Amino acid sequence: MRADSGPPLEEGQAHPPRALPPVPSAIQDDVPLSLPKKKKSRTKSKLATASSEGLAEPVVSKQSESSEPPAAYPKEHPEAPIQRGQKKIRPPPELETSFTEKPSSPSFLRNENGVDVEPPAEGVIPKPRRKAKKTQPAELQYANELGVEDEDIIADEQRILEQHSRFTAPTGISQPVSKVFVEKSRRFHAADRSELIKTTENIDVSMDMKPSWTTQDVALSVNRAFRMIGLFSHGFLAGCAVWNVVVIYVLAGDELSDLSNLLQQYKPLAYPFQSLLYLLLALSTVSAFDRADFAKTSVAIRNFLALEPTALASFLYFAALILSLSQQMTSDRIHLYTPSVNGSLWAAEIEERFLQPWIIVNLVVALLVGLSWLFLSYRPSVDLSEELLFFSGVEENPDKGIQASS
Amino acid sequence: MLQTSNYSLVLSLQFLLLSYDLFVNSFSELLRMAPVIQLVLFIIQDIAILFNIIIIFLMFFNTFVFQAGLVSLLFHKFKGTIILTAVYLALSISLHIWVMNLRWKNSSGFIWTDGLQTLFVFQRLAAVLYFYFYKRTAVRLGDPRFYQDSLWLRKEFMQVRR
Repeated sequence: MRADSGPPLEEGQAHPPRALPPVPSAIQDDVPLSLPKKKKSRTKSKLATASSEGLAEPVVSKQSESSEPPAAYPKEHPEAPIQRGQKKIRPPPELETSFTEKPSSPSFLRNENGVDVEPPAEGVIPKPRRKAKKTQPAELQYANELGVEDEDIIADEQRILEQHSRFTAPTGISQPVSKVFVEKSRRFHAADRSELIKTTENIDVSMDMKPSWTTQDVALSVNRAFRMIGLFSHGFLAGCAVWNVVVIYVLAGDELSDLSNLLQQYKPLAYPFQSLLYLLLALSTVSAFDRADFAKTSVAIRNFLALEPTALASFLYFAALILSLSQQMTSDRIHLYTPSVNGSLWAAEIEERFLQPWIIVNLVVALLVGLSWLFLSYRPSVDLSEELLFFSGVEENPDKGIQASS
Repeated sequence: MLQTSNYSLVLSLQFLLLSYDLFVNSFSELLRMAPVIQLVLFIIQDIAILFNIIIIFLMFFNTFVFQAGLVSLLFHKFKGTIILTAVYLALSISLHIWVMNLRWKNSSGFIWTDGLQTLFVFQRLAAVLYFYFYKRTAVRLGDPRFYQDSLWLRKEFMQVRR
């Protein structure tokens, strides 16, 4: 009996690769499944030979004998021989679980290989498992790419669900295909791809809307603060210059007759006033340049020719600055005046020669500064550079910039 | 993108250095009790100008325009500032050397000659122009257009290339 049943088993193990090379997985994998079939065919052939010999009884015994070889296998799966007839349609759940639990790598590899080849009719059973296994790496792929077509994924998912619900309990299904996990604040959150695309668009929009205090606002506020300082310095400078001229003329006496008195009285004031005048003139000139947008030479020249008050004022300030600076030497000479010594710096006749132009220059500076102040205070809100820097359109800016630089 | 806080900090530092410069230019002639005081003031002033140059160049490097490789565009737009700042630094250093050379022995003596007066006038005029152009550039660099790709930038680039 055993000697009889032995060869078919060996045969079944040895032959299949040769017998069915293109679909090795279906047969090799399912040795216990295919074994009974082989056995069956063998028994059938034996039956055929037996019937041809006209032996009825041995058929039963042969059948009982033929059912024995799987008996070694049914030690693990006792139901296998009983359900042999149904096996083609539906494998027992225990069997399947035993296969899926098998950690053997070759079976997995074969499954992977078997995907390409369209399995024959008997491959109906392992197919769902293969599909299920295949979709898992595919899902990973899909999760990486946002731009995957939806139909593929959804169809797959449905199919898997169907198959699993039909054959097994839906325990090991991975859901997530239509979801994408996005890392937000060091955590991953599930999000629908379509929603994610929408939300990213929304974020872009809100990013544009969000910042309330931009660098441009800072620049604008600084510019405005400086304009306030400039407005103050314009007025203060005009007042200072006028006061200075008045003081000089009062100290010099009628028709500049008392110049030595002027030198004595004015000596401690001369250099501090010169320094203050430079500070205020510098501030005022920069402010006036800002107002006239002096850096854009074409605009500045056009405004000057059109007798624009801001352009005129900046020109007058610059002239006053040059005049005032040119008197630095005389101011230092007055600062170092020592009447008792009456040394080399201040000879008797030299006083008038140095002081007269100095007084006139001071008068002219006071006039220029006063005029500029009038021009600028005529329209104190005009600020061309602010308009051009911060409120000019994107389109018109390049042309003006090129014009100015050329 | 330039952060508002960073920009405010840099801008205030620039204005601090500028106001120190203006202060020294205005009142250094008054503070000449000892030659050392003027020497220290002048050295700090020159370093402040140098710092301002470094800061403005760092701001240039931070712009998208520069990072995109359009250095010529930046230079084209701000060449006035760059040239004036360099000229002002040279004038300042030469005037400071000249003045300190004459005043080192006797800080309260009369040192003025026509040459010194001329250099003085040019240095102080350059200082005013430097304030104006530097302030303008620092304020302009707050424009977000310098820190992102835009149609404006592309147009500018095309215009410069012509």
